[in-house]
Amino acid sequence: MLLSSLFLLPAAVLAQTYTEHLHLSPLAQTSHLLAAFNFTSTTPLPAYESGHFTHFPRSLAQILQHTKTRELHLRFAWGRWDDEQWGPRPRMGRREGGTGVEIWAWLDQDHGGDVEERWSGLVNGLSGLFCASLNFIDSTRTTHPVLSFDPEGTHADGVTGQELLHGTLPHEVVCTENLTPFLKLLPCKGKAGISSLLDGHKVFDANWQTMSIDVRPICPAGGNGGGECVLEIQQTVDVVLDVERSMRARGDPIPRPRPIEELECDGGKGYGGGDTCYPKVKEGEMGWSLSRIFGTPVRGSCHLGDGHADADITLEVPLDRMVNVTNAQPLDAGNEQGIRSYRLPNHPPGQYTDLALPQQSVTQAVVQPQPPLYATRTITGSGQQHGGMHAHLRNPHPYAQTITYFESLPWFLRPYIHTLRVRNSETHENVKLEKMFYTPAKDRERGTHLELMFTVSAGGEVELSYDFEKAVLRYTEYPPDANRGFDVAPAVIRVLPNDNNTGDGGRQGSYIRTTSLLLPLPTPDFSMPYNVIILTSTVIALGFGSIFNLLTRRFVLAEEVPASKLALRVKAIVGVAQDVVGRLKGTKAVEMGGDAVGSGKGDGMGNGAG
Amino acid sequence: MASDPAQATGDFLPSEDREPVNAVGAAKVIQSPPPEQPKSIWTRRYIIFSFWAIVVCFGLPLWIRTTTVYRADLPLRVMQQWADGLTCQFEVPLHVVVEAPGVSPTVAERLAQTLEEYYNEQNLFPIHGLRVTLSDPPQYDDGSQTPGSDRTGLAGASSNTVLTVRLKPSESESTALSRLDPYEAVLDVYYSPQHLETTRTTEPHTRWPFADVIVGEIQKVFAEEQAALAHLFINSGSPVKIDHLDELLYPQRKEKLARRATRSFKYAPVYHLTFSLFTPAATPSAWEIKAALDEYLEPLLRSFTTISNFTIDTQIQLFASFSPSIHGPLYDAESHLWTLQKTDLSGFINAAEWPLSPSIGEGPTINFILYVPGERATPLVIAETGGTSWLIPQWGGVQILNLERESGDRSMLTEADLKQVVFTFADQLTSLLGLPTSPASHALRISSLTRSHTISLILSASSTLGSLARLTQKLPQISIPDTVAKSVDMTIHHLESACNSLKAGEFSRALEHARTAEAEAEKAFFEPSMVGQVYFPDEHKVAVYLPLLGPVAVPLIMAVIKEVRAWRAARRKGG
Repeated sequence: MLLSSLFLLPAAVLAQTYTEHLHLSPLAQTSHLLAAFNFTSTTPLPAYESGHFTHFPRSLAQILQHTKTRELHLRFAWGRWDDEQWGPRPRMGRREGGTGVEIWAWLDQDHGGDVEERWSGLVNGLSGLFCASLNFIDSTRTTHPVLSFDPEGTHADGVTGQELLHGTLPHEVVCTENLTPFLKLLPCKGKAGISSLLDGHKVFDANWQTMSIDVRPICPAGGNGGGECVLEIQQTVDVVLDVERSMRARGDPIPRPRPIEELECDGGKGYGGGDTCYPKVKEGEMGWSLSRIFGTPVRGSCHLGDGHADADITLEVPLDRMVNVTNAQPLDAGNEQGIRSYRLPNHPPGQYTDLALPQQSVTQAVVQPQPPLYATRTITGSGQQHGGMHAHLRNPHPYAQTITYFESLPWFLRPYIHTLRVRNSETHENVKLEKMFYTPAKDRERGTHLELMFTVSAGGEVELSYDFEKAVLRYTEYPPDANRGFDVAPAVIRVLPNDNNTGDGGRQGSYIRTTSLLLPLPTPDFSMPYNVIILTSTVIALGFGSIFNLLTRRFVLAEEVPASKLALRVKAIVGVAQDVVGRLKGTKAVEMGGDAVGSGKGDGMGNGAG
Repeated sequence: MASDPAQATGDFLPSEDREPVNAVGAAKVIQSPPPEQPKSIWTRRYIIFSFWAIVVCFGLPLWIRTTTVYRADLPLRVMQQWADGLTCQFEVPLHVVVEAPGVSPTVAERLAQTLEEYYNEQNLFPIHGLRVTLSDPPQYDDGSQTPGSDRTGLAGASSNTVLTVRLKPSESESTALSRLDPYEAVLDVYYSPQHLETTRTTEPHTRWPFADVIVGEIQKVFAEEQAALAHLFINSGSPVKIDHLDELLYPQRKEKLARRATRSFKYAPVYHLTFSLFTPAATPSAWEIKAALDEYLEPLLRSFTTISNFTIDTQIQLFASFSPSIHGPLYDAESHLWTLQKTDLSGFINAAEWPLSPSIGEGPTINFILYVPGERATPLVIAETGGTSWLIPQWGGVQILNLERESGDRSMLTEADLKQVVFTFADQLTSLLGLPTSPASHALRISSLTRSHTISLILSASSTLGSLARLTQKLPQISIPDTVAKSVDMTIHHLESACNSLKAGEFSRALEHARTAEAEAEKAFFEPSMVGQVYFPDEHKVAVYLPLLGPVAVPLIMAVIKEVRAWRAARRKGG
């Protein structure tokens, strides 16, 4: 796929550059469009270290400098990538994260200060910067993976002296308030260039979307002689849009039936009586344009005069498809891969660029490539105490693939590692684990870290399962919506590069993330502590009262009890009241004669007073 | 108990009534129970007493122990004394050194004594006291050489000398001339031999005109500092009494000082300087700010190192738009200028969109903004004054740079373009840091700032201590962790050291102590764990346990009341 090859373009490393790029490719056989935005800027490392930032965002840089972060990867993701229909993931899954927020970074170990403390400073700083709850990534959500992640940047002495920390926040809902600060980090701030297409309404209406920020140092190959090192920040936004849904009118976003005149009816049905409308099956590819899908055309361009002339927009559609271009300079009318590229005009600013593809039937069949691996993961079992985890991996390729499987589990999910089974689902034979890293959880201190490395045979299917126990939380540890359940972070599967798929795999391999899981935990009745206090207090008070009375009271015969003063007084008052009522009754009877209602009233009042 | 309760009960209910009666008569006839044994009465009393003993000796302490908040001991009296200004008598001795090469030691000695005497008798500000010494003989040679620019610390850190008066011979016969070195804390006084001659001829009680001239110059040097300190004492509500206040703080000067105080930042050991380039267009997208700052700002920052340190970062922000709250630049057709109304200046910074977040780490951030208007809206000036730069008090400075239309290439701002810009920023920085405008010597201004910062820090830390003391007394429910007590001890210790260093004339050490004292005092006052406990008042605790306390307390209390009543009734009968 094109994106993966673009990703690897280190090109000529210039001191201070900024490039942006949008790749559009309709996903075969569906009415979905993948729009992949990439914004890359570099800054010389010495300038960064002395605090002179040009295109590198100052707010982010200060957080990184303060926490001595060497390399940062931050992901915000939402939705599910449909492997079956959409094929392999863009950028080989390397720029996507698990549902919610995922972050991993390499921090310097020396320089004094605790790494954990600086990690906490990092997530707190980023939390403020991106308006996300990243500050909830504490030690229980942080792990130290060994196999799954390799640094992308060039580090002079490898990663010795640096520590990799990984945190996940599957519960986080990614939304517009995360996109706005994301756009603010760009030099053109979403006001010009392709970033002007990014609008919260469209991005978060997508079927799948992921935003990522990657900061890494790059040094030219060949050591010291090749030029100065630069720090690169890559920001990407990948969205899968439903073309039809995105194109509905902006002023009328609620889907409602179209007027009868606008319906396209199929009149050719023999059984149609003229009063019914059979919808016409659409033929060919759906027509779409940038301005209709994103609600606005591309505004101006964000060329910062650093001399490069790369394409801003690339389009991956069959070559016989018509494309109407407004105001952009085609660089390549279509290479052998069927990719057309365009560059936005430099001058004058304020121009609008649009790409429009009319509806057209295309004969050329699109071959959907296979994803490297299919993976699903579910929670099994029932009841409040025990459960099981079950992951299913399928290798569609005719060659074996070595993978690493990484899980970071919350501490209240306690896996029984002795029940861990990795089996071939057809032969039920155990799959040999080449490597395994396991850090058991500590209650309220640390989550479980489980990393496995094994090979999935050609066309084989592997099932991975283990049982777990659910912990009972303390009263104050439950979130406000405790009955919703607790999110368990997705598993990260890395398909290691091998002879068969290194074509553009590089040393990183490709990544797949499963969906996140929802774990129901036993939840108590939250008014319980007060009930307990009151109930036990009452029981103790009852017991105490009886014992105390038994001990201190004098027991005499019932007849011997002297009449209490209070009782005598009450008796006297009742007597007086009865007297008064009796007299009132007498007078009334005289005055009114036999008026039953009146006397009844008087009686009632008298009784009430007594 | 003297009386016999059994006897009393017996008297109350005569025994002949207790003969068997039929069922109908039982309700009417009051029967009395048999007289109670003294033994059972005593048993009952012991029971009640032991219940109460358990409640008082065990229950109550348990309750108090489990519900009290920990309060560390604070030296409240000492804290209050600091706040009242009773502990530290401010005294700022100004060491002045007279360098008189070529003048005979006896005359020089005499001059030094006379200077000190004259100054101190005319001094309006008792906190300042002048101590004049003669520079050591070996320094005669050193003093004659011209000092390099690196020796700005001459007056401050290295020695305790505040000012050096250097006597230089001159040919002219007229009045003595003096000149303040713009960089060093040196007052050059040009004398002719006849100025020194006068001493020998005149009587001891007549004044020496040459010394009067020098004292006048020295007074001029310290006049603004005295006013500033007086202003500081008054505004901080310090009980220090200052005589001759009206002479020191005449209205014009008072206004100037008040303006300086509102503009300048609160003292901090570290300031973060952020230089930002904003432009509404895509150009200029680069600037040689590093070179310009190194060249034009670095020397100024270096001179401040005894007081504060600075971190610098810079950024470029393109496509920056004005906030919608301002009317925006208006085109003035007559002068062909785009103008900003004065009312718009306060809203010029688009706080919602411009990324001017404060820097991470301790210390405030000072923002300097260079705004390059778009090609269409150039030149942009302030309507009323035609100026292009202004200061935002306690925040930073803004400057508009109008690029010439003909310059063609807008993409890069060169060091030459930025020279004037950085000078303006430097000027704004000195005002924001509260550097006094006089005397003319930069080193003297810096040392004056050191002293006023020291005193203001001491005053501020003392008043924080006082607030903490009052808070502790006012809120008995607030918890006071040990760290607070420790911080308070540290504060008091450093305040004492600062006060002593100030008296000894070691100003930079005094500033260091005062800085630590202030930091510790703030740490103690803003201790986070103190705040959370405020919301557990006694009412809350009692309310939660009322279901237990109520039913238990009522029988206990009633039993005591009943018993006391019975005892009193019995005593009355018996007595």
